Amino acid sequence: MDVFGSFTLLLAFVCAVYAFVGGIGALITRHPLLVKSTRQAGIATCVLIFIGTFSLGYLLFSDNFSQAYVVSHSNRDLSAFYKIAALWSGQEGSLLFWSFLLAVYVISVLIAYRHKNGELMPYVGVILAGVQIFFLTLNNFVESPFKTLANVSASGVLEPFVRLDGNGLNPLLQYPEMVIHPPNLYSGYTGFTIPFAFALAALLARYPGEKWIHLTRKWTMIAWCFQSIGILLGAHWAYAVLGWGGYWGWDPVENASLLPWLTGTAFLHSVMMQEKRGMMKVWNVWLVFCTFLLCILGTFLTRSGVVSSVHAFANSQIGPWFVGFMLLTLVVCFVAYVKNRDYLKSENQLDSLISRESSFLFNNLLFLVACIAVLSGTLFPVFTEWFTPSRISVGAPFFNKIMIPIGLGILFLTGVGPLLAWRKTSTDSLKRNFTWPLAVGALSAVLAYVLDYRNAVSLVCLFLCGFVFWTIVMEFYRGAKVIATRSGMSLMMSAHELAMRNTRRYGGYVVHFGMVLIFIGLAGAAFNTDVQKTMNLGESMKLGPYTLVLQTADTKPEKNYTAERMIVEVLKGNKQLMMLYPEKRAFQGRDQSNGTMVAIYSTLREDVYVVFAGIDPDTNLPVIHAFLNPLVKWIWLGGVWVVMGTLLALMPNRRAALVIAGARQPAVGPVAAALNPSVTLKEGHD
Amino acid sequence: MVAFAFGPLWAAQAGYSDRAKEIGMHLKCMCRGCDMSAGGCAHPGGSFSGPCDTAKAMLKEVDEHLAKGESQQQIIDAFVAEYGSAVYVEPPKKGFGLVAWLMPVFYSVVGFALLVFVVRKMRYRQIAAAPEGPSVHSEALDRARAQVARETED
Repeated sequence: MDVFGSFTLLLAFVCAVYAFVGGIGALITRHPLLVKSTRQAGIATCVLIFIGTFSLGYLLFSDNFSQAYVVSHSNRDLSAFYKIAALWSGQEGSLLFWSFLLAVYVISVLIAYRHKNGELMPYVGVILAGVQIFFLTLNNFVESPFKTLANVSASGVLEPFVRLDGNGLNPLLQYPEMVIHPPNLYSGYTGFTIPFAFALAALLARYPGEKWIHLTRKWTMIAWCFQSIGILLGAHWAYAVLGWGGYWGWDPVENASLLPWLTGTAFLHSVMMQEKRGMMKVWNVWLVFCTFLLCILGTFLTRSGVVSSVHAFANSQIGPWFVGFMLLTLVVCFVAYVKNRDYLKSENQLDSLISRESSFLFNNLLFLVACIAVLSGTLFPVFTEWFTPSRISVGAPFFNKIMIPIGLGILFLTGVGPLLAWRKTSTDSLKRNFTWPLAVGALSAVLAYVLDYRNAVSLVCLFLCGFVFWTIVMEFYRGAKVIATRSGMSLMMSAHELAMRNTRRYGGYVVHFGMVLIFIGLAGAAFNTDVQKTMNLGESMKLGPYTLVLQTADTKPEKNYTAERMIVEVLKGNKQLMMLYPEKRAFQGRDQSNGTMVAIYSTLREDVYVVFAGIDPDTNLPVIHAFLNPLVKWIWLGGVWVVMGTLLALMPNRRAALVIAGARQPAVGPVAAALNPSVTLKEGHD
Repeated sequence: MVAFAFGPLWAAQAGYSDRAKEIGMHLKCMCRGCDMSAGGCAHPGGSFSGPCDTAKAMLKEVDEHLAKGESQQQIIDAFVAEYGSAVYVEPPKKGFGLVAWLMPVFYSVVGFALLVFVVRKMRYRQIAAAPEGPSVHSEALDRARAQVARETED
């Protein structure tokens, strides 16, 4: 199976090279059969990658311990569920998994658009094949997952040998979320390849019209959605497993996942400027290019170990490959841009600094500053190794100080943007639009103060949350009221109808609402407290308004680990609330490493987060570390709204024809309808 | 006063004082395995998910410095002298570390200046181009674009 697997990957590489070279030939000769054949080569590449990935999966599931990869990342006792996770827990496997997910995207694009966008698709095919060649090179020649174990025998001949059992999967990864978090995050990373391919293809082909920008936007939204889910699941995993009471530590790997998300978000906003006003085309194309490059950079940072030390880079086999690929991509993008610059000429100018357009400009500025600040902060320790004798580390406090003002600025614009009209806004309408949201913002800040959330930054954050929340409510209310008076539907039904008619705009607002919830959760971080105590059975500890009583402890032998459980009762006053079971897991196999299983009693107001830290070596008693983390649940709730909003935005718009007819307006032709402001106001002006 | 009286006892139980933990938040745990601060070390994957032995030793060292009556800054400086600049959790606001702090400010200022420059150039060009510009009003152009977008949407 290993020979079969590596052969399919080699064949996939050959097909990808053909799709690339033949594709370029097809662009030059325009021969229809060559166009078709290269597209099918692209599909074949994907199918072969699928087979290669399934071969590795088969080796893992059949416990084939003659395989180096299986030995290092699995063992016999590992449950089937986590054997799937073993597929991407190592370097070689995760690079193959990159190729796999990219292939899923590529094959969807190649098949879905086979009869559409005739001029554009051959270019897209070539670009996608180019990216696939890079990853298949790594899969085949640099980091092959199909390596057989061998010993040098006495006679000097290599002899294959089989281990009895593997080393097992890293215990930190043996958690249900670790099976869904990486595929989501990787789907985000790989997904940004598709908008990149469309943008570059449109530039190279000088593709007329705005169609490509719709396609780019749509695929960016899909990738963005996966990236958002991936980041949040990662945060939740860190919260529930690592046991340090937090969800975001500004770790280089976390930062790497945030970078393309930031530029991707910037693009999803500035693309509206291009669609509505024909502006910022150059900017948008470069945002898409940068997002893709940051995805590659993110994979590189995560995989090469360059951030932990520059020296790790020299030892890493894949580092130079990634740098080479990024430079090559950058050169291609730059040449394509310089040659076709005139194609991206702006059709409109900015009319006023107080307008929807300029709020998008500031939004983009802040997202970009955030992105570059995180990037340079992450790479700063590497720079210091070059310029100073000793390394300077950059940890969470630095990023918190830098990112909080930027984050609050973005949150502020989230509220301001929708209140400003396109082109220019009068002072009168500013007053009218801002009064109520500001009042609600002030009210939420006062409420937070009364509820004892007294911290300047948190109060500002909660003020802005209230402000943004009310702008969203107002947007829905205004639109829904118009539909309600015209159609006689209830306000709720009208709001639903409104959202369905302009899914992108109102989906966007739902995403903003999710972000408000996330920011409320983040504001709570200022009030985290914790207590660590060595406890005898029956002893109790105070944690804010709660009392934790250590009732008993037990040991639970499982298939590949032994869990020691502490049974902790949570009381508030004299009322029993819940039993919590924090665990410490000792895993067999992998040099006796340990895992924690945090137990959380979660309410909207706060999380009681209990960790069984281990046995105190001096007293031989269990140590319980308990955290009181206010408002954390809001973050996960916000995540759900973000995803729902994105899904809404991806749905096609429902036609407004019914309501226009119901409004007893004279029948108008499509052109007249579009030019008649009373109708255009109701749809498509986001 | 109760805290004052029993504080040393509690400190003896944990092995270090709360103040040491607070200062430990500004020092990086030097075990090279966890990438956390000495005060907040939870050492994921270790047998004990609280401060690891390295972090505990560092916190005890902080207590020794505190006993000498040193200030937070003096203690941090002493640690930097001992372990090098790798012990900072955030770059120092002096020397090369200052660069890290100034970078985001620099991006914001340059970005903002660039934005204002581009906007002003745009408006200037618009005024200059107005007389011989296209006769179609830009609002009509926008409407036409919206319509094209609607009719070509898939």
